Amino acid sequence: MASDSSLSEGFLTTRVDAVVNWARSNSLMPLPMGLSCCAIEMMAFAAPKYDVARFGSEAMRFSPRQADLMIVAGWVSYKMAHTIRRVWDQMADPKWCIAMGACASTGGMHRCYGVVQGCDNFLPVDVYIPGCPPRPEALIHALMDIQEKVRNEYSVAQDGHFGQEMTPAPPARPRVLSSGGGDAVNPDGLYHQQ
Amino acid sequence: MSKKQPTTLSFLFTPADSAAGEDSNPHAKTSTNVAGTLDALSSRFGDAIEEVTAYAGERTVRVDRARIIELLTFLKEDQGYTYLADLGGIDRFTEDDRYEIMYNLVNMDKGKRIRIVIRVDEDQMVVPSATGVYKAANWNEREVWDMFGIRFDGHNDLRRMFMPDDFEYHPLRKEFPLLGVPGSLPLPPQTPSGGLTLDPFARAHGSVPPKSYDEPAGEDD
Repeated sequence: MASDSSLSEGFLTTRVDAVVNWARSNSLMPLPMGLSCCAIEMMAFAAPKYDVARFGSEAMRFSPRQADLMIVAGWVSYKMAHTIRRVWDQMADPKWCIAMGACASTGGMHRCYGVVQGCDNFLPVDVYIPGCPPRPEALIHALMDIQEKVRNEYSVAQDGHFGQEMTPAPPARPRVLSSGGGDAVNPDGLYHQQ
Repeated sequence: MSKKQPTTLSFLFTPADSAAGEDSNPHAKTSTNVAGTLDALSSRFGDAIEEVTAYAGERTVRVDRARIIELLTFLKEDQGYTYLADLGGIDRFTEDDRYEIMYNLVNMDKGKRIRIVIRVDEDQMVVPSATGVYKAANWNEREVWDMFGIRFDGHNDLRRMFMPDDFEYHPLRKEFPLLGVPGSLPLPPQTPSGGLTLDPFARAHGSVPPKSYDEPAGEDD
């Protein structure tokens, strides 16, 4: 009888979350914070050979208002750090951050006075990529990890808070890509892929 | 098709050896053989030429710093060294007359190179600016000021080149610690309205920048 009331056709149940997350995760717009050589690999990641358009992220946005994923690609000097933080603060929520390469993650070989020893000293980083520079595949892997993170969020409940006073959340556990390929695994083994 | 044989690698100028003579060195370039210029300099400036050294076939002329501008003008106007390829500072730390400033000049017409060096003591950290002769010296002198703290008298825009304007130190001096002085370079705030972070290793000391919104829990948490 139920089929009569819906015009004799089948129907599908889903959650708004699933739809919203599906849309968000497949249209992440990266802000290419290309600071040095990693930016070259980031260009390859967007170019036809690796073709990040397959993941819906081919629209690199140089305006923070239009972007929701910041890719910090390269070493961050103390002078540049203030600009990066300012650009990050201008990006609209929800937003995510990838620290691409050894320099952005830890300072890398630039263990010296002028380079910030990891952009996580002032940015909430979601995914770290090892490598110097990482291959474009690694950046795609990181993007897929962000996508997975987005798909697992309760987005609608979150959006209900929009405009209210923000309370700092406990920090999300950062995810570390293993350099040996395969599933991403945290050093403490806490992260398990679904 | 004959295969080209690779030339044998020979290290003619290791620091342990004295430099090979130009006759015995197949790689010696005539571009750094500037005997004519050296003669002209010594006849014109005499005692102001303190030392002429030859190493690896290159001539370095150390001159009295009081006459450097006059000498650079002479090299540019009369000797055709119209191109200032490089200008930089050197910290010799424990030596007398601790700092050196070197000028690499190129004569484009004749294909010649010469290096001029002046010495600066810690007591008198002011040197006449070469920007009046070579405009290209502008940024290089700003860099030397930034990195070594040597002022250039007559430079019209002597700001720091690389470090922030309010930085208190000169990082390329030998006594400056490699990792910097903690607290001298602030990191940006961790929240949009927060204060500056003064600990350069904030993350390693447990500070985690919060997400600017309440990040939803994931299903796998």
